[in-house]
Amino acid sequence: MGFWDTVTDLLEAATPWAVAEAEAPVAQESTEEVTAETTKEETETTEAAAEEPAAEEEAEEEEEDEEEEEDEEEELVDPKETLEEECRNSKQCAPAKHHFDECVERVTGAADGAAKEDCVEEFFHLAHCATACAAPKLWSVLK
Amino acid sequence: MLARSAMRPMRAFASARNGAVQISKRAASSSSGSTAESPLRLNIAAAAATTVAAGSIAWYYHLYGPNAHAMTPAEEGLHPTKYPWVHNQWFKSFDHQALRRGFQVYREVCASCHSLSRVPYRTLVGSILTVDEAKALAEENEYDTEPNDQGEIEKRPGKLSDYLPSPYPNDEAARFANNGALPPDLSLMVKARHGGCDYIFNLLTGYPDEPPAGAQVGAGLNFNPYFPGTGIAMARVLFDGVVEYEDETPATTSQMAKDVTEFLNWAAEPEMDDRKRMGMKVLVITSVLFAMSVWVKRYKWAWLKSRKIVYDPPKTGNGKTRL
Repeated sequence: MGFWDTVTDLLEAATPWAVAEAEAPVAQESTEEVTAETTKEETETTEAAAEEPAAEEEAEEEEEDEEEEEDEEEELVDPKETLEEECRNSKQCAPAKHHFDECVERVTGAADGAAKEDCVEEFFHLAHCATACAAPKLWSVLK
Repeated sequence: MLARSAMRPMRAFASARNGAVQISKRAASSSSGSTAESPLRLNIAAAAATTVAAGSIAWYYHLYGPNAHAMTPAEEGLHPTKYPWVHNQWFKSFDHQALRRGFQVYREVCASCHSLSRVPYRTLVGSILTVDEAKALAEENEYDTEPNDQGEIEKRPGKLSDYLPSPYPNDEAARFANNGALPPDLSLMVKARHGGCDYIFNLLTGYPDEPPAGAQVGAGLNFNPYFPGTGIAMARVLFDGVVEYEDETPATTSQMAKDVTEFLNWAAEPEMDDRKRMGMKVLVITSVLFAMSVWVKRYKWAWLKSRKIVYDPPKTGNGKTRL
């Protein structure tokens, strides 16, 4: 972060075809959101196609989640939630998610009080992966 | 030719072997130790030395090498994810529209528990609010006056020189009102926490819907992975649409968290914009002065550096040089 961004910024500002805008036009945001969603849907479908048959159950769950999200579209939807959910199900975070799911199964499956572990560490790894993956995308969406 | 060159190494090897045999014989027959060592002994010595060296390294690593993790990851807390904050770049200022939104979030959400006691109204003027807005905001609160003629302290409406009011009169009252947990003052919070802006943003947005399976959450605490120990007394406060922005930015949780974090960074270092501009001036002026001083030095030294010392031998009569 920093020096080369600044140099490129200065160069862009100095070029004769540069356009200075005080603020991003309002209409652009909605289109951005729409494009982001469409790309997200595309990626999800491709992932679902590319994943192994064992992951089909997850894909079904994703579809359900998507329907719920579409229902809530009229209200505010936090882009962080959607982006991180997307990242959590991506191939990049598949190992962390696998470990977390397995741990949750193990702990909840054990008899009451019998589980001598928690899934905090697995949750950390999954959360770290998801937020790190979503961070640049989130900053491009937020104002 | 080829055959001879191929034979040479073999012959050398054979002679070396013969020599080794002879030397070992002589060493066995006579007890003089000053003669050359045999390659076998040298090899054994080298192997032993290597074993000792490797063994001592392994032993040292066994003693001091691996880190002793006294804390579990849960006690340490999840390290904040880095976000590409624009105002942290070298030549970027704060986004003052975001500061204004962040101040609104602080006032409507955070200020009910957290004080901002090191920020006076006057610093808001010009950077976040206009003079009239700041004055109106200051007059909403009452402050103590100087003692009057009878020594009584009365109340007066706030002025620009007053500091933002704290929600509680003192720490004890704050603890009593919050189940024993003290909401810290936020004036310098960005500087005070490891991770700075990233930590605060992650903390505000990082509350999961429910704690992961098996996690122990104490009574009156909430699970937040970014808080060391994961049990934080502050509940999640930012929900979508809690604040209605005056510039009609969609008030999602992450948007509010980003704005209020940037505002808190401004509160912690309000001099940042000026500091960066001053740093730029210093760099430009010193580099120009440095270039000028280099040029002046070269100019002044030019006669010395460009001189040429020539030895011109005197000519003798017969045309030969005299030494």
